[in-house]
Amino acid sequence: MDITALSVSQIVSKIKTKELKAKDVVLTYLTNIDRLDSEIKAYLNVFHDYALKRAEEIDNNPNKKGLLLGVPVAVKDNISVKDFELTAGSKILKGYIAPFDATVIEKIKEEGAIIIGKTNLDEFAMGSSTENSAFFKTKNPVNTEYVPGGSSGGSAAAVKANETLIALGSDTGGSVRQPASFCGVVGLKPTYGRVSRYGLVAFGSSLDVIGPIGKSVEDVAITLSVISGFDLRDSTTAKVPVLNFETYLTGDIKGKKVGLIKEIQNFKIQPEVEEAFRKSLEIFEKNGAEIVEISMPHLKYALSVYYIVAPSEASANLARYDGVRYGFEGNADNLRDFYEDTRTKGFGSEVKRRILIGTFALSEGYYDQYYLKASKVRRIIFEEFKRAFEICDVILTPTSPTTAFRFGEKATPLEMYLSDVFTIPVNLAYLPAISVPFGVDSKGLPIGIQMIGKWFKEEELLNTAYVLQEEAKHV
Amino acid sequence: MKIELERIEKLAALKLDENERGSMLKDLEDIINYFENLKEVETDSIEPMVYGEKIELVLRDDIVEDSLHLTDLKRLRELFGDGFFRVRRIIGE
Amino acid sequence: MFKPTIGLEIHIQLATKSKMFCSCSTEFGDPPNTHVCPVCLGLPGALPVINKEAIRYGVKLAHALNMKINLKSTFYRKNYFYPDLPKGYQITQYSLPLGFDGFLEIPMEGKIKKIRIERGHIEEDSGKSIHIGDITESEYSFIDFNRSGVPLMEIVTQPDFESGDEAYEFLTLLRSIVRYLGVSSGDMEKGALRCDVNVSVSKDENKGTKVEIKNLNSFRSVKRAIDFEVERQIKAIESGERIIRETRHFDEKEGTTKPMRVKEELNDYRYFPEPDLPPLELSEEFVLEVKNEIPELPNKKAVRYIETLGLQEDYARTIAYNKKYADYFEDIVNKVGHPKEVANFFLVNILGFLNKKGKDVDELTFGSNEFKELFSYLDSGLISTNIAKSVIEESIEKGISVKEIVESKGLVQITDENVIKEIVVKVLKNNPTPVSQYLSGKKQVFGFLVGQIMKELRGKGKPELVNKILNEELLKLEKGDEP
Repeated sequence: MDITALSVSQIVSKIKTKELKAKDVVLTYLTNIDRLDSEIKAYLNVFHDYALKRAEEIDNNPNKKGLLLGVPVAVKDNISVKDFELTAGSKILKGYIAPFDATVIEKIKEEGAIIIGKTNLDEFAMGSSTENSAFFKTKNPVNTEYVPGGSSGGSAAAVKANETLIALGSDTGGSVRQPASFCGVVGLKPTYGRVSRYGLVAFGSSLDVIGPIGKSVEDVAITLSVISGFDLRDSTTAKVPVLNFETYLTGDIKGKKVGLIKEIQNFKIQPEVEEAFRKSLEIFEKNGAEIVEISMPHLKYALSVYYIVAPSEASANLARYDGVRYGFEGNADNLRDFYEDTRTKGFGSEVKRRILIGTFALSEGYYDQYYLKASKVRRIIFEEFKRAFEICDVILTPTSPTTAFRFGEKATPLEMYLSDVFTIPVNLAYLPAISVPFGVDSKGLPIGIQMIGKWFKEEELLNTAYVLQEEAKHV
Repeated sequence: MKIELERIEKLAALKLDENERGSMLKDLEDIINYFENLKEVETDSIEPMVYGEKIELVLRDDIVEDSLHLTDLKRLRELFGDGFFRVRRIIGE
Repeated sequence: MFKPTIGLEIHIQLATKSKMFCSCSTEFGDPPNTHVCPVCLGLPGALPVINKEAIRYGVKLAHALNMKINLKSTFYRKNYFYPDLPKGYQITQYSLPLGFDGFLEIPMEGKIKKIRIERGHIEEDSGKSIHIGDITESEYSFIDFNRSGVPLMEIVTQPDFESGDEAYEFLTLLRSIVRYLGVSSGDMEKGALRCDVNVSVSKDENKGTKVEIKNLNSFRSVKRAIDFEVERQIKAIESGERIIRETRHFDEKEGTTKPMRVKEELNDYRYFPEPDLPPLELSEEFVLEVKNEIPELPNKKAVRYIETLGLQEDYARTIAYNKKYADYFEDIVNKVGHPKEVANFFLVNILGFLNKKGKDVDELTFGSNEFKELFSYLDSGLISTNIAKSVIEESIEKGISVKEIVESKGLVQITDENVIKEIVVKVLKNNPTPVSQYLSGKKQVFGFLVGQIMKELRGKGKPELVNKILNEELLKLEKGDEP
């Protein structure tokens, strides 16, 4: 039996019926890691002993319960797992052993998941290629000369390379969806407030969401059911009922209205991506959905808004890394120099760049012009989505304007930022969205289609994604 | 847009070396110039947006729960005296 | 004529059991870093959650200070680096504080002075830095985060004070109010109440340059610092100096203010809305419910003591401002009456005695029953006020009832007119010279004769009766009657 071909629900049911041992599942994935990860470098830390021990506990426990029983889960290394190092891909946190579990970690553990390791990321999730990791670059398993995307590049690559069955990532401006798209896997960014951020290393607090990455919409749907829900430890979670999302994957989208943003033609899109996108629209029509054109004239400001709001929040969120209580310590004989030495040596250049942008955008004399202005335009973009969702049920865009790029290809920060142009507005508007692989380009690199759903309507979004996934099998 | 980079560095507790500062300044100016397009948007009557949909603040009850133990803290940093964190002198910088 | 303009910024620690944004204990005085968790230590991924009780206390205090309540208030991040600030920012309220636009009236020299309150906002405290030895010499500082995240309400007054005395009076009343409300211990020595002062002086309508004074460890220090600073600024201006906008440090020993030695940091706090905490929305019902929990406050109480109970002003205030005193006093007066006498016995005798013994009012066993007995003796003239005082002290000290003391010691006054008359006649007979002096017009010897009579009566003769009978007997002698 090819264990890596099994879905989450298959693994869980086979373990429950003792047809399969959790230990064999874990060993299969650990073996793949041992075999492949020296090349792919998806993991910062593999929990060999821990994962095997957990698997044995599951196998020895006659009471077999849990939606993720025995399922290996890779966790992006900006999510806190008790008693393991948490680096956020940064030198400044090197050596920090987390004394607590993130809420999502508690939840997946409760459902029997086996955390198999921590995956690489752009430092503090700031980046779109995982090249900004302080430790090493992760390669795209589809073609190792290409980046896996980012910032959850390690998570997406691990899923693609069969080094885990599912992975958790975090998405602030596309960090789950874009690497999912680049690696040819499914990545979901839930509605803001759907999943607790407690234990997620904060980047842009009003934008950050933890989301699952998997090989299929079904796997992602099950994982979402597990990690969702109101959390008293995160005051920005919503009291919205958590559904068993997998049961909504009916494939029936008749009469649904799929929104096509008119202004999308103004963006520069790789022709093969554009073609795949058109084709995906046809598929929805063929399945009984109606394509409706929507106008979002302010979408073009999303990048500016994002690159003000996220760094502003980040500039405060990253102030705690001062070398006093944990992590990397600089060297100086007075406090001010100690701070500067710790932070200047501890942070990489993209992180410093964003801290500086954010500090500037909040500083005296510039607040109104940058932070406040951006927060207002954010509302305009939000309202545009709101109006759009009065006439459609889901909005379609390419996940990224291009397929994966080569290492070092994006010469300037701005060029890199532009690769998130379709994912960013979703975070600004707190919406749920998913990237589903849909064909490849001439180099064989995966193309991802992004579907954006209504607030807290992940079940509809996932069902739409499911339709595309099923059709993609025939493309 | 000109940025007083050294002032911003001070606020952010960062200190770039001269080489780094040059390229950083250019990057920042490019990025901030990119933001100029926001000026086109009329926002006089618009309320800023920070918080998501359907999020209602829930308060916690005033109940004391276990704190971290000193053993947890010692994994973070070496402690001094009865359990103090230690920093380079604060005053007289 | 220079006019001083003074404003106060007061931090009041709210007396919750757990911290503002996490469940760590707020207990004071425990070993360092024993009340810390991911939230108040600023560990990666931790998030703040608001303590409901802190909000309740904040609303209560805002009400008591006559503030308007923002039904929607917001939290901001105030950014600066300091080792006792674990997150690199303080969560505080900024544009929409919990309360605003209030006032407190303080009695000043028989008049009422209104101090306007600009705002009252909720925030978290920082940790504590400890220096060993001279702070400018020591190589290291040591940090304890037990206080990090403890809830505070900052009260900012308008610059309505004109003297150190007014500030002192205000703080005394404010502390009394927070204790009445139960929202804070108000203990300055434990840091539960901290006060910074802004002082400026000017000759005309133009405002002077504002100088901030820190390191004020007692109300007396606040008063002294203000008085010194006002004087300093006036002298400086008179000698042609310019006042610089700065922060000064109060030197307790010298009673002077000095510029802080620390180099002024770049002050740009980059306030922005705390994305981890959506706006705090309070219902009208909640606000009303809290309002209804507010007891009669000390300032109102003092007025009532003066106006309805007839107490003198300083007595009224001393009792009313101390909740324990007021509770004790009211309990007695409600059951026994005699407010003026009770106030007098309490402040002069009971309190004096307790102070001497280092005891608290809580420990008193001398309650309404004892007072009831005491007044029955007093009212019927069986004991004098002086004797009553010594009975009180003895009763408290030995834990014996009033009745026992009075009876066992035979302290009851002699009120039998026949007994007194007998002694009076005897004294008059034995003192022919003073008597004849009296009869020849030297009326001052009356007192001497009373003394002699009281001596015979061992001090227990009821003074009014002694006076009356002595008068009668002397009158008889004047008329030539034989006694």
